[in-house]
Amino acid sequence: MKTKKLLALLLCAMMVSALFACAQPAAPATEATEAPATEATKAPAAEATEAAPTEKITLTFSLWGDPAEQETTQKALDVYNNSQDKVYVKALQIGRDEYNEKLQTMATAGEMPDCGMVAEDTAIAWARDGLLSDVDIYAGQENLPLDYLAFKYNDKTVGYSSANEVLALWYNKAMFDAAGIPYPPTSLDKAWTWDQFVEVAKQLTIDANGKHPGETGFNKDNIVQYGAYVNQYTWQLEVWALSNGGSFFSPDGKNIVFDDAAIEGIQKVFDLHLVDNVAPLNDGTQDNGFASSLGAGNVAMCTEGQWATGFRGAGFDGIDYGVAVLPYMKEKVTIATGGPLGVFATTKHPAEAAEFLRWYGSEENSMGTILAGWWMPTKQNYYTDETLLKSWVDDCPLRAALPAEAYKTAIVDVALDTNVTHQTGWYYTPNTFEVLTKTLQPALVEAINGSKTVKEVVDSVRDAMQAALN
Amino acid sequence: MNQRGACIADCLCGRLAVLLSRKCVIDMTNKKKRAKIAVKEQRAAYLFLIPALLGLTFITYVPLLAVFGISLTDLNVGHFIKGGTMPPVKYVGFENFKEIFRNPSIDFLNSIKVTVVFALVAVVLSIIYSMLIAMLLNRKMPGRGFFRAIFYIPYILPATAVMISWWFLLKYDGGLINYILVSLGLGKSYFLSAAKSAIPSLAMIAVWTSGNLIVIFLAGLQNVPRVYHEAAEIDGANAWQRFWNITIPSMTPIIFYNLLMSLVVNLQVVVPALAVTKGGPGKSTMFMTYLMYQTGFRGRELGQAGAIAFVFFIVAAILAFILFATSKSWIYDEGGEDKK
Repeated sequence: MKTKKLLALLLCAMMVSALFACAQPAAPATEATEAPATEATKAPAAEATEAAPTEKITLTFSLWGDPAEQETTQKALDVYNNSQDKVYVKALQIGRDEYNEKLQTMATAGEMPDCGMVAEDTAIAWARDGLLSDVDIYAGQENLPLDYLAFKYNDKTVGYSSANEVLALWYNKAMFDAAGIPYPPTSLDKAWTWDQFVEVAKQLTIDANGKHPGETGFNKDNIVQYGAYVNQYTWQLEVWALSNGGSFFSPDGKNIVFDDAAIEGIQKVFDLHLVDNVAPLNDGTQDNGFASSLGAGNVAMCTEGQWATGFRGAGFDGIDYGVAVLPYMKEKVTIATGGPLGVFATTKHPAEAAEFLRWYGSEENSMGTILAGWWMPTKQNYYTDETLLKSWVDDCPLRAALPAEAYKTAIVDVALDTNVTHQTGWYYTPNTFEVLTKTLQPALVEAINGSKTVKEVVDSVRDAMQAALN
Repeated sequence: MNQRGACIADCLCGRLAVLLSRKCVIDMTNKKKRAKIAVKEQRAAYLFLIPALLGLTFITYVPLLAVFGISLTDLNVGHFIKGGTMPPVKYVGFENFKEIFRNPSIDFLNSIKVTVVFALVAVVLSIIYSMLIAMLLNRKMPGRGFFRAIFYIPYILPATAVMISWWFLLKYDGGLINYILVSLGLGKSYFLSAAKSAIPSLAMIAVWTSGNLIVIFLAGLQNVPRVYHEAAEIDGANAWQRFWNITIPSMTPIIFYNLLMSLVVNLQVVVPALAVTKGGPGKSTMFMTYLMYQTGFRGRELGQAGAIAFVFFIVAAILAFILFATSKSWIYDEGGEDKK
């Protein structure tokens, strides 16, 4: 009996200790995987966040990105840490898919990281709801990022993108060579019309018997090489709405537009699979870009952001690809994006965090990520000053392989032309995630597979999108 | 009765009386001992129950009440930021409950419908499939242990990995299943990429992963008394009659348990939406748990997410209640009384 009692008491003790273990710890703690420190950072790791004058303040910097991108970021942090005697920054890696959820959950415990990358689709909402500190990272700086990289809410800038990215067309050189077709145009003045793009895509689409769409005996169910793959993430579809003369949102970001031109533009994209038979079904729910198309080795052209430059150095070295300007429907356009950096509201060290982000956000200090192909600079002088331009385009082996001249006209010139480069909706609408990702994206799958038209789908969720926007 | 006999009877009676009196004394002592033991055992029982009670109270009932409390407020993630921009948390009554039903961007009725439909389809198919496989695996055949392991493995695989693997297999372009269909001269299917086929496809995957049900059925089948089958065979019953009149009734308690467990698991479905479908196509896989996750953890509206969670609890409780209420009419009582 004594043994039983003892066992019962032990069980009780375990239960009580488990309950206490679940309680909020006294000091901030993080559960996500910390970025592996390189050799340079292993030694000076200071743990205390409530630092005594002689101790270092530890700042936690959250980020997403694939392992190669995170490694580049860690190298930048190493440089910063070695230059500091009062601050130590440690990286907190969180997967892109659960980034917002993780940080928001941490916010409910008052334990957000001190600073970090902020997802574009919630940047304004986080500023509005107080999850971002209102400390101005760019205070006192004259050389600000390009105007279109500013996230604004009620006419007030709440953040700037830490990198610039524009959408472009990427192509597999070997597939073009094999078909004897010239590479796609790399300058805006020679940009393909949508019809020209579809025509080339047909020539590059081949079934198991070597036939192309439109030829007698072509089997659309047994295609071995596709001509095109247009990224169908809803935020990227906005470029085709703009290209066809339409829009997703009103300029003040307070109303849903999705006019006929926007709907027609999206329908043309989906018709690449449904009507033209030049694209694989791409329902937008999984990996939806370079890796699933050019990277998979069975697609000749895909649309993707500038970050696709970096894939050559990250496992896709075997595919020789080039860059070109996007084709157009009515207007020659592209869209720009880039996640901002932010100081989170729960930090106890806003000044130190802002200072670090100011350092980290400067091109000089993020050059590793820029040269790895993932980022473009955000400041105008890096696009217009010949020496600075050379430092990240001509001197970057990944861009030189595209080649650099094509990159300059297809990406750099386009990024500088504000008549062509438009802001993605999330720079001026607070609830882009709720509207596009949560409401529109799953609904659009019905149009992607041809069960409904884009118009039918958009009309069915128009009220829901408007409700989600406000 | 002769004298000798009477003497023997007297002796026996005397002996019996002595024994009975002794027994009385022993019983009295035993009763006291037993009472003491009972008290001690009761104490031990309560001590053993404490961990479970603490767990139930703090991990189930208190959070349940807390969720209900949260659902009556406009709590947002922003409220947790000290000195933040959000106005103080407000009591909003049942506004969140009204909102989740009337807001078209939430469309909670649709979520209830797709969750219940998925759960019912997955439960029924899983039970039939598991029962059939368990009966096959219960037969003497070469490699039986190997096949038992093969059918159990899907259950222990990581759910997200399973879903993503199936997504690759079911892809419209480049998926293995569609490749096989085309090779056989059949048309392609959209599977997870069309609203009509998404739920059946996910139910199929749920059935494939129901290895735990197979193991439980297998254990149940091995406990069906062989004598019943032998008696029925002697009476001339064929295999179907034996299955329907002996195996199934004997298995009803196990079927009930599997039904209940499978219902609970499938109502809580979230991985397919989280890992693959994101609630689509259309809203065909916008399961209640996924909607709750989207509303609370991505949309930051914890009050509305609390309302969704509470209604979800009620829906699950209703379905479980129906199952319990109807069980009396079809579960075979081992004591021999069919309660029908």
